[in-house]
Amino acid sequence: MNISMTRIQAILMKDYKEFSRNYAVSTMVLLPLIMAFLYNRLGANTISMYFLPINMTFSIVTTYVQCSLIAEEKEKNTLRSLMLSPASLGDILIGKSLFVLIVTIVSVTMAIFLVGYEPANLFILAIALLLSAVFYIALGTICGLFAKSIMEASIIVLPVMVIFSFGPLALALSSAYPILKLAEWLPSSQLLLLAEALEGKYSMADVLIPMITIIVWSLLSWIFAAIIYKKRMVD
Amino acid sequence: MNAVIDVQHLKKIFNNETALQDVSFTIKKGEIFGFLGPSGSGKTTTIKILTAQTDKSAGNVLLFGQHASEMKKSQNRKRFGILTDNSGLYTRLSIEENLILYSNLYQLSQSAVKEALDFVNLYAERKKKISQLSKGMIQRVTLARAIMHKPELLFLDEPTSALDPVNTQHIYNGLRKLNAMGTTIFLTTHDMSEAEILCDRVAFLHKGKIRAIGTPKDLKKEFGSDTITVELKNGEQEIIENGSQDAEKLFQWMQSDQVTRIYTNEPTLGDIFMQITGSDLV
Repeated sequence: MNISMTRIQAILMKDYKEFSRNYAVSTMVLLPLIMAFLYNRLGANTISMYFLPINMTFSIVTTYVQCSLIAEEKEKNTLRSLMLSPASLGDILIGKSLFVLIVTIVSVTMAIFLVGYEPANLFILAIALLLSAVFYIALGTICGLFAKSIMEASIIVLPVMVIFSFGPLALALSSAYPILKLAEWLPSSQLLLLAEALEGKYSMADVLIPMITIIVWSLLSWIFAAIIYKKRMVD
Repeated sequence: MNAVIDVQHLKKIFNNETALQDVSFTIKKGEIFGFLGPSGSGKTTTIKILTAQTDKSAGNVLLFGQHASEMKKSQNRKRFGILTDNSGLYTRLSIEENLILYSNLYQLSQSAVKEALDFVNLYAERKKKISQLSKGMIQRVTLARAIMHKPELLFLDEPTSALDPVNTQHIYNGLRKLNAMGTTIFLTTHDMSEAEILCDRVAFLHKGKIRAIGTPKDLKKEFGSDTITVELKNGEQEIIENGSQDAEKLFQWMQSDQVTRIYTNEPTLGDIFMQITGSDLV
């Protein structure tokens, strides 16, 4: 695939300018931060409580922003124009995703700080957070490619937000409803399990299983996103 | 033959409906080729196939000697420019910011932005946001974006549909200048006067089929009648043959100072289209 740093940077800068002037989408970044601050004030002191605003950041900021950016490009026909330029599929997806990744890193860092979470092993957790961000960007890309407008994007992204943000909470009910055990394999649950393991004595498997699970989710999502992109963007 | 576009027996079917049927034409390097037809005749579908936005159902489509599907490649996208009715401009960005984005995507120097803005007469307005522009101005920005990388081949889908006469003339002059520099132009329009002014050759497309193809001059010769109308001072209009058999009649009218106006009965391209297809172009 033909990848150009100049083109990626051009798309990244364009997205930054568009995002900063689109208050309907850019103000969404504040929601999980406000929630993190409130949780801190309410006395959050467990990993599950710390990770509620963190997982919300991934859903609301990462997935929703990526989804909105792509849906708007489709609605205004700007994605078609980009595709008719020398920008390759890689340039467009990397350029857009890089912007959302930067916004995610800043937001997650701020959410961690605001909720008062002090991870025992920041390095391993940072890698897992980064891998999760890659997955949620893919999820946003898929939702954006399915949506025909920004309005539709905000609806499509809702079930995704609920499943991935609140999925770990469903585990508490899994003894009554065994089907909910499946929620354990969600990337958000795996991230939570990893963070919990990191607080005590952990084995290699405690780290590798969540990491590999998140990587598999990411890979499958990106492959799916690329297939959808090619199908949806050719008449 | 130095063909930039070579289309043979092109067919396109959308949801069991035939959009294009046995369409064949060739465009030589440096030509301005007009693809004329009413809305829904298949003009935009043809452009979409040529620019690899949609796949053909059958036939052969070559651009620069390569299959149209090869136009998806980055290096081939630098060889053509396109202006469609959907501007695809970023409305929150200014004119200049939009063009800077594309100059970076095409990896051009910053002077290309100024040249393109001068071309469409918008340099003074460059800081304005797209959301503040009129439809005509948006059309000019889209044209600036289409030509800023000096493409070998330019696709123009109704390029002056939203422009006033002054800007239309400005664009015509610019297109002639681009063409003189070697750019091949594929123009779709339903404006017959535009086609007559700009095109070296035209094709009439009706219900997905090409009904006639040729230079405007040859088409007029083929489909027009070789007669002359003479308007006389008594208010009568006489139609005579453009030949020696009616020369005596004309001579007598002129000698007796009866003639007000004389003109050839040359059909317009619109007349020819109507004659061939039995329907109007709009």
